Amino acid sequence: MSAGSDDDRARFASVVLPHLADAYALARWLTGSRADAEDVVQEACLRAFRGIGGFGGVNARAWVLTIVRHAAYSWLGKNRSAALLMVDDLEAVERRELSHGVPVDQSETPEMAMIAKADAARLEAAIALLPVPFRETLVLRDLQGLDYREIAEVTKVPIGTVMSRLARARRRLIASIGTDEPKDRS
Amino acid sequence: MSPSTAPDDPTLLVHAYLDGELDPAHALELERRFASEPALAAERDRIAALRQVIQQQLPREAPPPGLARRIEAAVGIRQASSQPSWRALAASVLVAAFVGGGASWLVLRPGPDSVADTLVAGHMRALMSSQPTDVASSDRHTVKPWFNGRIPEAPRVVDLAAEGFPLVGGRIDVIGRAPVPTLVYRHRQHLISLSAIPGGQGLATPQGQIAGYNVLSWIDNGITYWAVSDLAASDLDKFAKAFRAASP
Repeated sequence: MSAGSDDDRARFASVVLPHLADAYALARWLTGSRADAEDVVQEACLRAFRGIGGFGGVNARAWVLTIVRHAAYSWLGKNRSAALLMVDDLEAVERRELSHGVPVDQSETPEMAMIAKADAARLEAAIALLPVPFRETLVLRDLQGLDYREIAEVTKVPIGTVMSRLARARRRLIASIGTDEPKDRS
Repeated sequence: MSPSTAPDDPTLLVHAYLDGELDPAHALELERRFASEPALAAERDRIAALRQVIQQQLPREAPPPGLARRIEAAVGIRQASSQPSWRALAASVLVAAFVGGGASWLVLRPGPDSVADTLVAGHMRALMSSQPTDVASSDRHTVKPWFNGRIPEAPRVVDLAAEGFPLVGGRIDVIGRAPVPTLVYRHRQHLISLSAIPGGQGLATPQGQIAGYNVLSWIDNGITYWAVSDLAASDLDKFAKAFRAASP
């Protein structure tokens, strides 16, 4: 797989390789496994190399993450199709909730102290249980630091959808780590 | 779905507020609501607590060491296989610089010992290690004394949290054989490495790009400062202005 000019290789080295850590992190959160994340990143990098001429030169990280997300979705489609099936249902729920407005729910108000003392294992488990669209939005924002506009670009949805997904992802996490017993959401 | 309904939901605005996505007018309006609506203020505190605990508990995991090498091999970038990945990355910076030849200052300062190359490599290495700093503290009164024991002259350390660039810590990079103090600041999730080198010269053009990272240099009081980050050039410029304007 070494077709491509030296120029392509140089461009790949300066555009894609600096974002390898971000690429790997996103792939790991989407696939849920380190080994699968490596496969996904490798596949994504080959796609990026082939498409390096199409990079517009503006936001290399968002461009790389978009390709990684594509590769991860292909992988999920082959290996975890159930995870993607849920996405359609979720969109319906999102639409319904949005059209009715989302109340500040008073019944589920965990203490800040409970939230603050969650450990890494509990947080990881709670994030892993989030439906894929919520999970990727949260990961891109809270773990990778993309702003809303960049997340909209990577996940191909309007900013309003980014906002509502992020709010739902965080609300689910708060509900799940803010209680004494880990909540079973499966 | 229509995004136009989103801003009507106050909780969505709370998230946007904490994420620094609200314009000042809306932020002020929301702050007034926090004062009069305890439920909304409590929601803000919970979200802030969640964001903070995620930051603390889930540091970014470095990719496995062989991954960069395998990818480079797959696309035909050859590297000596014994090199750790950050060296491979630093080397590919040079490949990019020589082959691409886009950065005009490289013509003036060629060669693998170029200060900017070394600093970008140091920044990359820091990003890929589990800890981008040797001393991690947002308190300049902790960071500055840490340097005092290790190098002849501690750098100027200023607090830029109010400007949106909180201090993360410091480390020592090595250029040639000289230890160089590097401060690490943060803007959103982007890290900025700021190295201070006594005397010397900056970039021939003060701003450039290496391997996708923006590099900015300026000279102040006989010290050459070098800022390296994946921040947008305009944000890095803001950082430099804030640093120069701040009193220690």
